[in-house]
Amino acid sequence: MADSTHDAWDLLPAYALDAVDDLERRTVERLLDTDPAARRALDEYREVVAAFTVNTQPPPALRDAVMSRIEQGTTAAPGERSTVDDVAWSGPDVETRTGPGHSSGDGNVVPMARRRRRWGLVAAAAAAVVAVAVPTTVAIQATVEQNQLQQQVDTVAQMMADPSAQLLRSEVAGGGQASVLVAGEDFLFSASDLPDVGADSTYQLWLVGAEGGVTSAGLLDPQEGSVEQLLQGVDGVGLAVSVEPAGGSEQPTTDPVVVLAEG
Amino acid sequence: MSRNVRDTRRERVRIDREPSVGHTVRVPSPETTPLDDALVACAAGTPDAFGPVYDALAPAAYGTAIGVLRDPDHAAEVTQEVMVEVWQTAAKFDPARATARTWVVTLARRRAVDRVRAEQARRDRDQRDLDTSVAGSGYDVVSEDVERRLEGAAVRRCLESLTGTQREAVVDAYYGGRTYREVAERLGAALPTVKTRIRDGLIRLRNCLGVNHG
Repeated sequence: MADSTHDAWDLLPAYALDAVDDLERRTVERLLDTDPAARRALDEYREVVAAFTVNTQPPPALRDAVMSRIEQGTTAAPGERSTVDDVAWSGPDVETRTGPGHSSGDGNVVPMARRRRRWGLVAAAAAAVVAVAVPTTVAIQATVEQNQLQQQVDTVAQMMADPSAQLLRSEVAGGGQASVLVAGEDFLFSASDLPDVGADSTYQLWLVGAEGGVTSAGLLDPQEGSVEQLLQGVDGVGLAVSVEPAGGSEQPTTDPVVVLAEG
Repeated sequence: MSRNVRDTRRERVRIDREPSVGHTVRVPSPETTPLDDALVACAAGTPDAFGPVYDALAPAAYGTAIGVLRDPDHAAEVTQEVMVEVWQTAAKFDPARATARTWVVTLARRRAVDRVRAEQARRDRDQRDLDTSVAGSGYDVVSEDVERRLEGAAVRRCLESLTGTQREAVVDAYYGGRTYREVAERLGAALPTVKTRIRDGLIRLRNCLGVNHG
């Protein structure tokens, strides 16, 4: 623990230069979350890095481009600006991404404006994915507590920006599609068009270990056939889903309907 | 992007500066510039409010992007993305932590470096494509080139206070958009050595520039 704190401090200057890989970035950010002195040190290093910049006039046409983009993006009240328009990539599935939580219509639903803003972060991160040509859009469901949601969005944004992240996709036996975005020890599982399995059964997600063993990663409760689940800091080589009796099982009792694993 | 500036506190601490006493107290700098204030005001403002802020900050974003990317088209695209992001995330700007310029430079550098790496990854994937358009400019750091790019940079004179190896590592990480791991590979030096050179180099620059938030 002391070592990793020490390491993180050592990495602060490289972090300020964006000269760290994703894993190191997270190590440093854990330190920054808890240590104001580290944040202050980082701010100083960033000021040093900023001293490398020579102010240079951009092409004049850029001003109009930026101003018209922000004017288009601000039909909403300023506090509710969507960052969806932030990225050159406007996202073929922006609409469907707000889908799952939409129709629930109960008190747990995050207010629309806020949700759109959060989704905007995901969309911005997705732009990085497009830049490295990962061929999909991925959504997470906006039905969790706000803080948790923010954390998940941050994690997903980091995962999506991770150039080493991998996307595995497959059809689901019985209907639907599933994918998992794997970045280090984080897995973002996502499925859509899953058929209803009835009240006596449930979809269950499994984490597949390197030795082939499986451990439960929770029950899936698709809304209109769609479901997402974020697993953080887990040790595994892939995910699988099976249909289990209601309440779930300790170990799978049926053949998986989909396995998403490398190799 | 949000991880660049996590702390969204907006309070500013005002300190009554007393005549010099025997010790220093670590407090955030109470000073803000009109530009900082204008950027803060953007969080609750209309697009009109952003015009002057754009004019003041876009040169820092573009200068950062072109320093790393060198290609004017890439730099203009990055600048556009960054300036829209500045508007959209103005509420995250915390003048107690950084000046508006430093904040914008941080955002611009992150995006520029991301673009370098994406470009690199693309080239690595497609090895037979020896990409003439970008490989021609490349991201290798040549010293005359660095001299030229540093002209007018506040840090220039301070780079002379670094040892040769510190300077080499810092400059390569800065202009090459490389991770320190890649810098180590390129320079044929050990990983901890390069990490230390970058750290000590930035500390010397910090001291030379008189940067002190404490």
